[in-house]
Amino acid sequence: MSAAHPKTRASGFDKLFSSEAIGGLRVKTGIVELDEMLRGGFMPGDAVMLAGSAGTGKTTLALQYLVNGINLGEPGIYVTFEELPDQIYRDAKNFGWDLRKMEEEDKFRVICTSPNLLLESSDDSLLEDVLRDIQPRRLVIDSLSHLEMFVKRDDMRMEAYRVIRYLKTRGVSSLLLWESPQISGGSFSVTDVGLSFLVDCIVALKPVEIESAMRKALVILKMRGSDHDKRLREFEITSAGIKIESAFSNYEGIISGSPRKVASEKFMELFRGASEKRK
Amino acid sequence: MFRGEQTEVSGSEILSTLLGSEVRGDLLVLFHRNPGLIDTVDGVARRIGRTTVAIISEVRELLELGVLKQKRIGASEVVYLDRTKDRELLESVANHLKTLKVGEER
Repeated sequence: MSAAHPKTRASGFDKLFSSEAIGGLRVKTGIVELDEMLRGGFMPGDAVMLAGSAGTGKTTLALQYLVNGINLGEPGIYVTFEELPDQIYRDAKNFGWDLRKMEEEDKFRVICTSPNLLLESSDDSLLEDVLRDIQPRRLVIDSLSHLEMFVKRDDMRMEAYRVIRYLKTRGVSSLLLWESPQISGGSFSVTDVGLSFLVDCIVALKPVEIESAMRKALVILKMRGSDHDKRLREFEITSAGIKIESAFSNYEGIISGSPRKVASEKFMELFRGASEKRK
Repeated sequence: MFRGEQTEVSGSEILSTLLGSEVRGDLLVLFHRNPGLIDTVDGVARRIGRTTVAIISEVRELLELGVLKQKRIGASEVVYLDRTKDRELLESVANHLKTLKVGEER
């Protein structure tokens, strides 16, 4: 444990009323453009849903959020129900993040378990030891969708609420990954079990087909208690992690899955084409 | 489930326990590669492609040695790697191997 994080047991209550929380400081993702979109970062202690279909970059963004947090002095935990930690260590190393070293320094932990064990735990929580050991400020659950396999559909919202409250009362900012194949259409429905109402913020990642190429879009669908960028931004997964680019300003219908150029852009294209012909 | 009795053991005893069987080897590889794994014996068995019956006595050996720890989560007993004890045991084994090497050189 580094000197910056002594193993004194700070309760969730203490953290909630810390100068940091009262002062309104944000939980920076460390991805400059995303922090700008979030007007500085997530709100402290918030439960954030990161939704997207497979291969959109949820795990990469989540790991980057934790690694950047560690660099800012905030220990983090990654709870995975699917991938074994050695796969996560290997994938992270490709981005230059040495998670094993961070674990040795007691700044990070990967917990790999079954969703039912997370649900079964009550007083003797599955996470209690690790919460005490590394005093995390950030925690990722990969993914909340896995809980669905172990609870009845009607109970899903209640169980997710319990997990979120458990983390909130301990002053931990959580990033909850959600496999969402259907972020489309006019309703912007992220989950079909009503979880969108439980979380404070929703960041959605979506693959987009534009001019026969697959590109990726990121949008903040909801951010309780704060203004945020409402635009769809293009992003790429680079060798250093997620890199957010400019907004898809010349397209509409991206979320609905039928992107088309806006009328003014079409007109400009025709105009450019005509003036080139004249040359 | 089962409670491991932890007693002082020598480097050679640790080494022979660790390398005592193929299943035990698989378990050690799994937990060393994935030190944050917390699962039931059933879950652990699935993760190394074996049955609960095949691994239960091997898990007991590792609990007795102290490499693994167990605790109750709700209605389930889970096992996980004791990182501190694991480090200590590996140091004992390394020291034991060094002693053997020095003996051979003499």
